[in-house]
Amino acid sequence: MTGVALRAAVLPLADELRAAAEESRLLGAYATDHDLRYVLAARDGAYERTQAREPGRPAHAHSQQFPMLSWDEREMADDRGVAFDALPDPRAFFIAPGVDPPAVTANGEGLMHFVVGPVHAGIIEPGRFTFSSGGETVVHLDAQLSFSRRGCERHLEGSDAVAAAPKVARICGSCSAARSFAYARALEALAGVRLSHEVELARVVVAELERVYNHLADVAASAAGAGFGPGFARGMALKEKAMRLNATASGHRLLFDAIVPGGIGPGVLLEPERVLHEIALLQEEIDAYLRGLFSTASLVSRWQRAGVVEARTAKAFGAAGPAQRASKGTFDVRTAATYGAYDGLAVRAAGASAGDVFARCSVKRDEIGESIRLICTALRRLPTEHAPSVVRLDLPRGEAVTVVEGPRGAETVAAHVDGEGRLARFHAISASYRNWPIVVKAMDGNIVPDFPLVNKSFNLCYACADR
Amino acid sequence: MGNPFAASLGIRHLVCGSCNGCEHEMNALGNAFYDITRDGWDIVASPRHADVITVTGPMTDAMRAAARDTVDAVPRPRVILAIGDCAAGTGTWAGAPQAGTGAGVELCADLFVPGCPPAPDAIREGLHGAAELLGKKR
Repeated sequence: MTGVALRAAVLPLADELRAAAEESRLLGAYATDHDLRYVLAARDGAYERTQAREPGRPAHAHSQQFPMLSWDEREMADDRGVAFDALPDPRAFFIAPGVDPPAVTANGEGLMHFVVGPVHAGIIEPGRFTFSSGGETVVHLDAQLSFSRRGCERHLEGSDAVAAAPKVARICGSCSAARSFAYARALEALAGVRLSHEVELARVVVAELERVYNHLADVAASAAGAGFGPGFARGMALKEKAMRLNATASGHRLLFDAIVPGGIGPGVLLEPERVLHEIALLQEEIDAYLRGLFSTASLVSRWQRAGVVEARTAKAFGAAGPAQRASKGTFDVRTAATYGAYDGLAVRAAGASAGDVFARCSVKRDEIGESIRLICTALRRLPTEHAPSVVRLDLPRGEAVTVVEGPRGAETVAAHVDGEGRLARFHAISASYRNWPIVVKAMDGNIVPDFPLVNKSFNLCYACADR
Repeated sequence: MGNPFAASLGIRHLVCGSCNGCEHEMNALGNAFYDITRDGWDIVASPRHADVITVTGPMTDAMRAAARDTVDAVPRPRVILAIGDCAAGTGTWAGAPQAGTGAGVELCADLFVPGCPPAPDAIREGLHGAAELLGKKR
C-alpha cells in the first residue's frame, strides 16, 4: 500500500496540533470508517496524524482546545457517525430533512435578532445569517451553511479516481483549478509519477490566473460594499477581461478541467505568446485601476477599521489565505510547503497587519501583482511550441493528502484509492470552510449595514464549504 | 403601439446547489461588456418584483422548501428560466445523495439554457426567450 500521508508520531497529537495551529499550518480533519485524520502541513507538503476509532469509546474532541476544528469535528460526528467525548458546539453540522436548524443568538435587554437567507437578494449562493444586534451594532452573527450540500464526497466514492477529475473540478466553480491541482497531485503521488517541468509551469499559469480573476472580483465587490460604484464597475470589467484571458489560456472562462490527473487539459496554453501579450496589456489596466482605488480617500476610509480580525482570532479560528495574511500571518502554501514549479519561482508572499477590510484588499492587490509576475515568468520559460501531454496513471491501492494555495487559501484534498483504482474516500477541506468562522468573528462590534462590505472582503464560496 | 414595457424584465436569481460557476456568468451580465440594463432588464432583490426567475444547480435537499417558497412568491404571469446543465438535471451532481433531479426540472422551468456554465451571451439569449414567452403569457 502506498502511504505518502502517514507519519510516525514524534509528538503527542495535541502538542503537534498546537504547534501547527500556532503557525497556521493545521489544515483540518476528517473521518474514515476506521479512524480520525488530522491534516497538517510541513515543508514537504501535507501529512496526517491518525486517531483510531474505538467501538464504545468516544474520541477526544480536539475542538475543545482548538476552536478551528469545531466544524471538522461536528461534520465527522454528523456525516460519519463519530462519537466524541464533548463537542463544544454539539449542533448537527448539516441540515437534516424538514429541520429548521437552530441558531446561536445573543440574548438580553435591548438585543434583537433578525434572519437573512437562505435565499439572498443578489446573485449569491445560499446561506442563512442570524444577526443578534443592539441597535446597529452586531453582538453576534450565526452563519448556517450547508444549503448547497449535494453530497459530493459520497457521490465520488466508488468512482474511478482518474475519471472523477471533472467532477472534482465542479465541486466549486470559484476555486476549481486549485482543487483540480490538489487532486491531480494526490493521484500522481499515489502513482509515483513526476511531471515534466513544462507541465508544472503550465499549471502555475493556470493556478495564478485563477487567483487574478478571483482577487479582482473580491476587490471590486469590496468597493461595492462601501457604495463606491465606479470601483465596482471598473473592477468587474477587468474581471471579465481576466475571464476572457482564462478562455484564451485554457479554453474555459473559469479554467475548468485545465489541470487533470497526469498533466494539463488539451486546450491549455496552445499559444503561450498570445497569453503573454494579452496579460501585459491587462496588467497596465489593472495597475491603473488598483492605484486609483487605493488612492480614493473616502473608500480607503470606509475600508479601514471595518471587519477587524485580530491576529490571535485568526490563529485560534483557523484563518486561511489572504484573510490570515492580512492579520499578521505568514503562511502561504506556495512558500511554506512549496510544490510543482513554485520552488523555482521565488514567490513573494504578501502580508498586512491591521486585519481589516483594507488589509485584506491590500493583500489581494499585492497578490494580483505577484500572480501576474509568476504567470509572465512561467510563460517565458515555456517553449513557444507547446505540446500538452497527459501521463497515464496506474493507481495502486493507497492514500494521499495534498495541499495547494488557492485564491482563498489552503485547498486540501485527501484521496483514498482501493485496489481497483476507485475512490474509497474523498475529502476536500476548502479555504472557504476554514474562513467562514472568521467572517462571523469579523462582524463582532461592526454595524449591520457593513455586513456586505465585511463579507465581500473575504468573498468566500459556499459550494466547496458545503460540498 | 403595444406595451412599451413588454420586453422589460425584473429578474430574480435563485441558487439551488450550483457550484457558483453559473453565478459568475450571471454576474457577468451586469458588467460593462454585457450590461443587461441596455435590454431594459434588471436583477431585482425580491421575488415579488420579478417577472423571470432564473434558477441554477441540481437542487439540494436543504434548499427545496426555500426554493419553492421563492418561486411561489413571484407574481403571475411569470417565466422560470433554468440556467446550466445542473438545473436541467444533466450536470455533474445528478444522482448525488443530497442532490435533486435539477432545479429547473423540479420547479417546472419554462426554458433551459445548457452549458457548464453557459456563456453570458447564451444566458442573454435565454432571457430574450423568456421575454418573448412572457409576452405570450400576458
